[in-house]
Amino acid sequence: MGDLFHNLALGFAVAGTLNNLTYCFIGAMLGTLVGVLPGIGPLATLAMLLPITFQLPPEGALIMLAGIFYGAQYGGSTTSILINVPGESSSVVTALDGHAMAKQGRAGSALAIAAIGSFFAGCVATVAIAVAGPPLASVAQKFGAAEYFSLMVFGLVGAVVLASGSVIKAVAMIILGLLLGLIGLDVTSGQSRFTFGIPELADGIGFVTVSLGLFGIAEIVTNLERASKHGRDLIQPVHSLMPTRQDLRQAWPAILRGTGVGTLLGILPGGGAVLASFSAYTLEKKIAKDPSRFGKGAIEGVAGPESANNAAAQASFIPMLTLGIPSNAVMALMVGAMMIQGITPGPQVMTKQPALFWGIVASMWIGNLMLVIINLPLVGMWIRLLKVPYNMLFPAIIIFCSIGIYSLNNSVTDVLFTAGFGVMGYLFVKLGFEAAPLLLGFVLGPLMEENLRRAMTISRGDPMTFIDRPISLGLLIASLALLALVIAPAVRRTRQEAFQEEET
Amino acid sequence: MLRGVIAALILASGLLASGANAQGNYPTKPVRVIVPFAVGGPTDLVARVVAAKLTEYLGQQFIVENRPGAGGNIGADMVSKATGDGYTLLMATVSTHSTNPLLYKKISYDPVTGFTPVGQVGNTPIVLVVHPSVPATDLKSLVELLKNNPGKYSYGSSGLGSILHLCGEHFRLLAGGIDYVHVPYRGSAPMMNDLVAGQIPIVFDGTPSALPQIEAKAIRVLATGTQKRARQLPDVPTMAEQGYPAFDCYTWNAIFAPPKTPEAIVTKLNAAIQRLVDDPPTFKKLQEVGIDPTPKQTPAMLEAHVKAELVKWTPVAKATGLELE
Repeated sequence: MGDLFHNLALGFAVAGTLNNLTYCFIGAMLGTLVGVLPGIGPLATLAMLLPITFQLPPEGALIMLAGIFYGAQYGGSTTSILINVPGESSSVVTALDGHAMAKQGRAGSALAIAAIGSFFAGCVATVAIAVAGPPLASVAQKFGAAEYFSLMVFGLVGAVVLASGSVIKAVAMIILGLLLGLIGLDVTSGQSRFTFGIPELADGIGFVTVSLGLFGIAEIVTNLERASKHGRDLIQPVHSLMPTRQDLRQAWPAILRGTGVGTLLGILPGGGAVLASFSAYTLEKKIAKDPSRFGKGAIEGVAGPESANNAAAQASFIPMLTLGIPSNAVMALMVGAMMIQGITPGPQVMTKQPALFWGIVASMWIGNLMLVIINLPLVGMWIRLLKVPYNMLFPAIIIFCSIGIYSLNNSVTDVLFTAGFGVMGYLFVKLGFEAAPLLLGFVLGPLMEENLRRAMTISRGDPMTFIDRPISLGLLIASLALLALVIAPAVRRTRQEAFQEEET
Repeated sequence: MLRGVIAALILASGLLASGANAQGNYPTKPVRVIVPFAVGGPTDLVARVVAAKLTEYLGQQFIVENRPGAGGNIGADMVSKATGDGYTLLMATVSTHSTNPLLYKKISYDPVTGFTPVGQVGNTPIVLVVHPSVPATDLKSLVELLKNNPGKYSYGSSGLGSILHLCGEHFRLLAGGIDYVHVPYRGSAPMMNDLVAGQIPIVFDGTPSALPQIEAKAIRVLATGTQKRARQLPDVPTMAEQGYPAFDCYTWNAIFAPPKTPEAIVTKLNAAIQRLVDDPPTFKKLQEVGIDPTPKQTPAMLEAHVKAELVKWTPVAKATGLELE
């Protein structure tokens, strides 16, 4: 324990210098900004800023880059809540209840809860890195292909819960998502699937492409249609900027659970913020006394996922910092940033570069504090975004979406695909299909297939590998239990009663 | 009318001037260096170090542009079809110029005729590493172990048709009669994760990601894949020293220009690349981002290198039976 305090003192000494505080602030500010802008994500921003960091000292460079990444998780909820266009892929589910709250005039409350939840989750996840980084990383390594497959099965069963309409439609959307996820070169066999000879499809379709199309573009189109029919009178005036006591009381447990879910999924390689936010939403809805409130402005539906995505973003530093193995594209970029500074990322960074390691950890606390201070007063400013006339707001959003999509791979094809998904999303809205289960299927499907086949290859075709391994077995049993719950007729009846009116 | 004539004259003089300048004063505008892989990856880092130096030497911005996709084929194809004026360059790799052309059914560029070689920048050795639980201490004991346990062991790679996969198959061919199963991953990071965790026992990997794990004793190195021992692992014998003289696995980075790029431009660029490789701080920087710089590389040597690599990998690519699209 004495060691920990000694290390933290070192970390705060590094992170607390004026230079590093400035880098931390720039990172947090930029992160908030790219989080707010739909389409422009932390990955593209880090990529653009990476060359600039060559000139900076290593601590400053990494503190700033890290700030952009977790800062984006704060900003991502803003447009989700206000205009139903997710600012970040990890804020897709936040739109479900967050925007519903905005429509009722509770936008200020939703934004504030998102910021408070993110702050709490960020602090807890940072403590987790500081206190138990290496042991957590080794626990995460117990997750092999078999465990991943079973985890995905569990997630997929949970996906049905995401829908607030009919179960059949939800299942259809999950399957469509799975199919979309299959596009590209199959990792195990090398066969091309549904690529139609288009080289840009060889690596599949990006999550941002699908989510921005289905949520962002489709939302704008449907809004324009409504606006031309009824004029713009959809959103109630905002009556308060701060959450009520009732809001806080309902949100707290969700923030705690979201933090737990996010930290766990963040550590797993291949997990990350998107999966964490979906899982937290599913969990909140599943354990709610009255799940019918979800989709209609339940504050837990904002608090859970927003805490989870920030916890996961923070926790995903654990494998990178303690093992030197990046668990997602952003972390891979951080590894690149370290190498160009002459630091070899690996298990020895903690011992060989203690100033860097503890400096980054300490900067996360400082950064989270800065973020909550930046974001809470901004709530009042963002609210005014609702007053911007459609004919100015919508073209601006479309432009940012297009720039963001293009910047992912410098590819025009991606922009066209997003437009295509926009059309698809509009049809879904018209036909009463919900896009959230599709997205979850899209994320889980390929992971599930890949890990199923990898597990079977490693076990030489013996399916017992899923049952012999205790973690895998546990997850499969939990999936069965969840499935039974969903199928049970009594449950289904109440579901239908509760949600039928939503479908009109 | 008069305006038209003046415009035509200005245009013509402009064209003449640019024609003359194209070779003498090159570069007169920013140059794009296409990286066919994602930002922050090994090739990207090399490209950024090189581009910064070229900017300094040649007085124009050399801008790194990432065009990832289809194992590097999208970026390579783009440069192959670009105008050969020296303003679009490719940071090529063993994948774009040696292995992909042999593995992809309908590849849209030719690695030899579709480019003008400019100069090689450096190589990265590949090493054979195992999880510490594997009861083998050198290549001989590993081959014995694999032969005594057919079908029992797996080896991981960063993907089907990746250089790491081909190394594994190269070894299979040379060792004759070893039966181990290939497990492809999406990139080398998840592969290394599973190796360290003991989910898979054997992999071939490049030195940048393998070395820190070797140092931490999370994995054990059995052999270096290059003909010479790796600079960072002077005590580890090569595959060749351990009885496989034909085994020579490494990745490399080189700059290519589109076809029909004027010789004067190529010469100028090649001289700049040789200069940056000879510059001690840049040499060290390149080592830090994971490659061993190769000094004194001419365009002709690069062309010969590509041809030799294609010959070396042809039988291995055939043995995989892969026909990627």
